[in-house]
Order: sequence, then structure tokens, then C-alpha cells
Amino acid sequence: MSNIAVTSSQPSPKWDSKQVIPLLLLVALIALPAVQFFGNHNYVIHVVLFAFLYITMSSSWNIIGGYGGFISIGHNVFFGIGAFFSGFIFARYGISPFYTALLAGLVATVFGFAVGLITLRVRGPSFIISSIALLMIFRIVFDRWELVGAAHGITLPHNSLPVEWSKVPHYYALLILMVAAIFLSWSVRHSKFGLALRAISHDEIKSEVTGINVRMIKVTAFALSAFFIGAAGAIWADYLTYVRPNIFFIILIAANMVLMCILGGKGTVTGPIIGTIVMIFFNEFILAQFGASELNIFLTGLLLIITLLYFPEGIVGSLKQRNLLPRFLDWG
Amino acid sequence: MLKINNVSKSFAGLLAVDQCSFAIREGTISALIGPNGAGKSTLFNCISRIYPVDSGEIYYAKNRLDLLPPHRIARLGIGRSFQLTRTLDHLSVTENLALHTAGGFGSHLLQRGVTPNDKQRADEIMEFLGISALADLDMGSLSYGQKKLLDLGAVLMADPDLILLDEPAAGVNLRLLENIIEKLVALKEQGKTILLVEHNMDVVMGVSDDVIVMSAGRIIATGKPSAIQNNPDVLEAYLGRNT
Repeated sequence: MSNIAVTSSQPSPKWDSKQVIPLLLLVALIALPAVQFFGNHNYVIHVVLFAFLYITMSSSWNIIGGYGGFISIGHNVFFGIGAFFSGFIFARYGISPFYTALLAGLVATVFGFAVGLITLRVRGPSFIISSIALLMIFRIVFDRWELVGAAHGITLPHNSLPVEWSKVPHYYALLILMVAAIFLSWSVRHSKFGLALRAISHDEIKSEVTGINVRMIKVTAFALSAFFIGAAGAIWADYLTYVRPNIFFIILIAANMVLMCILGGKGTVTGPIIGTIVMIFFNEFILAQFGASELNIFLTGLLLIITLLYFPEGIVGSLKQRNLLPRFLDWG
Repeated sequence: MLKINNVSKSFAGLLAVDQCSFAIREGTISALIGPNGAGKSTLFNCISRIYPVDSGEIYYAKNRLDLLPPHRIARLGIGRSFQLTRTLDHLSVTENLALHTAGGFGSHLLQRGVTPNDKQRADEIMEFLGISALADLDMGSLSYGQKKLLDLGAVLMADPDLILLDEPAAGVNLRLLENIIEKLVALKEQGKTILLVEHNMDVVMGVSDDVIVMSAGRIIATGKPSAIQNNPDVLEAYLGRNT
């Protein structure tokens, strides 16, 4: 009793690790491109911006897959839509994807809403199969669509910056998208919308009789999850300087989003972030040690199996269950 | 207040509810009873539109419930519980209760999951039910009886005018049962209308103003508890023709 009184009488600190550490990390990430003043560190910039890309996508996927419980293995359709939309406008009208990325996100969102109205009528294996079918349909359509270059896709102009600075615009664009996607994921997790979504993931009938418009919540979550994936697709198209169906409409991209989310802890805000960092940096480490072989795929698979054996709810989810999660990672 | 008019519902040829009609008066407790398989829960599910009716109409005030989706029915002020508790164990106790204040779609996007108002309302309800000690527990750690009480609490969160309770006394101990009965009477005194499906005849006869009896999908009797107790059709349905 006395302990409670003492604790409650002390004013809570204005800043704690929950805010300070993420803010310091953000400042460090903003400052990172300054390393280019001391030499060409394009590889470091590339790996970090690649992590930004996948954190953006896995955090977005987490909205429908983690909170909503709908495992979509075709979510990179929105990545491709964003890439082709902005790539086409860039190639035809010369408007850079940096200006059209948010519009590309909006197009992906509208499309996500329309697709969600159809596919979210089912869940479980049926939904998973429908998401894969969607991806296959897109691959087939874009492979044959002459207007967007069919199988050859669209080639985009390089930017005119010196080679050591050429990745920096993409770095900052993806950093902004990543922060915004994490913020959206956090907002959904802590909103009544997110509460409804988490309820729906376990019991749709119960949710419906509490007054929740289950269908609208599911479809909106699906559409929201598409926005930043579409926007990231636009920036990634500019980064690669080409958009091709066999680059954007492959199941590996969606599988990566799902695996990163599951590894970190789906349904948590920081899980996709941690899962992405672990997978990308582990993969890069293996590539650096053993070169470009199939070994990195084998060892990444092994990492996933071993991690999920000891952390069945993902790294963040399981640490939270055991009350071992560092405070700065506990965002709900 | 609630009017069921010639409602029928069948599943693959099995007629679960057959031309049922009855009305529930405002501010009363009515019990829907009958042997297992009589169609009580099916009728409940028709009222809350979990099952669409095959024919007939269900009126609540001036609204045709059989034409509305379940979430719209809930927002009209109709709350319901389930025969088997459907609490969401991955959510906290307070989140389980706050879920019932979902409101319109816009509020979903703009409000926090558990607002201060939700918290206050949840605290009031848990105090009313005598389960304030459960507030900080995980839903998954509660006993079946505690979940049953919280199920009732969850229904009350949205302050419904019509409360549908599917076997609220099933599987709970005697002390908890007395608590539930006490709360049902208190809710009626607050002006709530309650329709309950129940097998426990002590509860039915103790709290009900009206009793509706179903057997093999049909309504076989309606009336005051005292009249129902001696109704030969009801005795036959429960005890068999030879007794």
C-alpha cells in the first residue's frame, strides 16, 4: 500500500525511453545520408532504404493481416499498381513519382476498397487463395497490357544527381512513408476502428451484434493497408528506373511482408519493424559472408523456424507476453 | 415493443421455427422456454438477424428488424448475449465492454479504442454487477461464470432498451445465479425490456412477467408463469404424452 502511495505521488517524467529512443533513432536516420560527405557509402544507404521500404509495407499489411486477421498473400498488387501508375505518368508526362506517389497510394486505396468488397466475404484459406488469385490475374493482365509496356514494362529516366547522392531523395521519401505508415498503424491499433478490427479478427458475429458494421470495417482496413504500399511502389519504381510485371507482381514481395510481420509479431505496432530489420540485416549479413548464393534463402528460412519455435507470437508479441519487452518497443 | 409475426426459419428442409407469432410488452421480463431443439435460439438469432427469416416479419417499434443488418439492429437499442459466451479473450475486460459502444462508422476512425467515457461506463457496469475486481484482468483468465456476468455487462454497455439474453443462468453457480436474477429485476425496474431464453424454471418463474413456450418450432402457449405451469400442452411438451 505504501509503495503504491509513494509511486503515485511522484510526478511522471515528461520524457521516457518510449519517446526518447524512437526520436533519437529518427534523428540518426535523418542524419545518416551525411556519411556520403566522407566517401561513397551507397551500399549502406541502399540497405537502410530497402528496410524503410519493407517496414512501410509490412506495417501497412499488419493493418489487415495483423489486426484484422486476413492473411493476404497478394498485397504486392498495390505495390505494382502504385509503381505502374506513377511510372506511366512519369514516362508519358514527365511528372516525377515523387510528386505522384501519394496519388498512387490513393489509386491503390480505391482499388483496395473495390477488391475488398469482393474478397473479404470469405476468410481463412479461401481468402488466402483469393489474394493469390488476384496477384496472378494482375501478373497476366500487365504482362499483356501494351499501354504499360506489357512484359517489358516501362523504363524511367535516371535522376541527374551525382552517383553518391542519387539514392538520397528515395531515402528521404521512403523514410517519410515509413514514419507515416507506422503512425497509421499505431493510430489504427489505438482507435475504436482498431478495436473493432481486432474483435472482427476473432468473432465476426459477436462483433456485428455489438453494432459494428463488420463489412465496412474490414473493407476500409483493407483499403487503408493499400495506401502506403501503393505510394512506396511509386518511389521504388523511380529508384529502380524501370517497372516490370516480373519485378512488382511476384509473390515473393508479399511473402516477405507477411513473414517479416509474423517474425516480429503480427498485430503489434513494432512487430513488423523488428521483423523487417531482423530479416533484412540477417539476409545482408549472410550475403556478405557467403556471397550471392541460395544459402541466404536457406538460412533465412532456418532463422524463421528457430525464432518462431521460441517466439511463437513473433519477437515482440512473445516478449510482451513474457513481460520482457523493452518499454521503447511497447507501442501496443 | 417487439412483435414477431408469423416467422418461419428452416435449415436444409428442417423447419426450426414454424409460423411463430407473439409480442413482448415494454418494461417487462418475458421468458422464451421449451425443450431442447424447440427453436428458441434460432428465433433469437432471427430477431438479431444472424439468421435471415424465410417468411414473416419482426417489428421493433416501427422498424422491420428482419430487413436490417445485425449492426443496425444493435444500434436501434437491442442488445443480446449468446448461449455460449462469446467473449473475446485476446482483448482486455475493459476492451470487451468498450466494444459495445462502437457507434457509427465515423466514430470508429476518430475515437480512441477505449475513451474516458467508455472506461467510466464500464466501471459503473462492473460495479452494478459486483465484479469491479475483474476490471484489470485479462479476459482469458476469467472463469466461465465471470464471463457469463461480463457477457451481461457487455450487453448493458450500449444502454439498450431491449435486452435479449440466451440462457443467462446456464453453467453458473447458485450464488452467481442469485446475483443474475437480482440484476435482471433491477434492470426491469430501470425500465428495460428483457426477453430471455432459459431452461432454469426457478429463474423463469421467479422473474418473468410473461412466458412463451415453444416446442418443435411452434409456439404452443403464452401467458403468465402461473398459468403456464399448469398448461397441459406445456406439460406434454416437457414431460411427454404418457405422463
